[in-house]
Amino acid sequence: MPTYKLTYFKSRGRAELARLLFAAGGVKYEDVRVEGEEWQQLKPKTPMGQLPLLEVDGVMICQSKAIARLIAKDIGMAGKTPLEQAQADMICDSLDDLGNKLMFLFTEKDENKKEEKKKEFLEKTLPPTLDLFEKLASAEGYFVGNSLTWADVNFFAFFDLMNGYIPGDHLKVYVNLNKVMGNVSSNPGIEKWLKERPESTS
Amino acid sequence: MAPKYKLTYFDARGRGEPTRLIFAAAGVEFEDNRLTFEEWPAIKPTTPMGGLPLLEVDGVTLCQSLAIARFAARDVGLAGKSNLEQAQADMFVDEISELLPKMAGLFFEKDEAVKAEKQKEVEELIVKTYTILEKLSGSAGYLVGNRLLWCDLIFFNIASNVENLKPGTVQNYPKLAKSYENVKLNSRIAAYLAKRKETPF
Repeated sequence: MPTYKLTYFKSRGRAELARLLFAAGGVKYEDVRVEGEEWQQLKPKTPMGQLPLLEVDGVMICQSKAIARLIAKDIGMAGKTPLEQAQADMICDSLDDLGNKLMFLFTEKDENKKEEKKKEFLEKTLPPTLDLFEKLASAEGYFVGNSLTWADVNFFAFFDLMNGYIPGDHLKVYVNLNKVMGNVSSNPGIEKWLKERPESTS
Repeated sequence: MAPKYKLTYFDARGRGEPTRLIFAAAGVEFEDNRLTFEEWPAIKPTTPMGGLPLLEVDGVTLCQSLAIARFAARDVGLAGKSNLEQAQADMFVDEISELLPKMAGLFFEKDEAVKAEKQKEVEELIVKTYTILEKLSGSAGYLVGNRLLWCDLIFFNIASNVENLKPGTVQNYPKLAKSYENVKLNSRIAAYLAKRKETPF
């Protein structure tokens, strides 16, 4: 197993997926959290001036999905065959598309417009997308094959984060998706991490 | 015998071209299924996530252009040798791909005033992205390691669109220019580009 050092801000954000995967795989890593001046000093030394950053055996990898995919491969949760890996990638890219539709949470300055956009997201954007995800998840609660992959963990991390910004039982009517969430949260490593992880609002 | 792969997209480059370039570079045959805009509404509900491109292989239908491209790259040996090299290639692809929706937004903008604003934003993003990529790029004439990988093809695809927008841009970035040239001069890619149908996007 290589040595891993994950650097991010003092929050879950775009690093939590990596942390969840490390937890699921029982992999030790250095969980570095920076802010303010410390970040400003570090920024020019990073590949793309962004976080999260994974240092593995002296190599720096940035881009949260590239990081997550690498960890998933190392812990055997990327998908068993190239085709399964592609199916996992497909789910994760679709989650990104959904996440992009939530960017207004950070870019919309007008509070009234923000509330309108939240309403539109919940009523018009989210349901048809969740309908599609529901069909892609199995009755056993896995997006790929019949065991936990990073696609399931990513789905969990997405709603874990989204609930912080738009609280609600968004998956109420979705049987398969609820199973996915249950499979992830009851993974022993993840269950332990969820209890022990530092508190943050996002 | 029918080709192993069936790629479905519109009759355009867009989000289908990365995979077409990957198959071309590897000299691998595939069914290049192009839909008209009229045919699309009937097909849409049969797709996994309501979008194109799609890749059908071994009875499975994949969607999401980068998931498809990454799978194709891996299948034809253009993904990278080790998990780490693959992650480095992924990193480049993720960074470069942030340009795509912004450039598409610019291309399709009808309002002249908004278009001028968007053009300015896109040009700034291009400089920011190319500067980052130049710093990270390998010096052997390829973005990662010492041979052509799918990230070079993905860069070439987007950089070609950038050259259409602002000719000569890539020449300001020596390492990126080398990767761009190496793709263009690759004999299989050169043959593919010579035969490729012209499409507006």
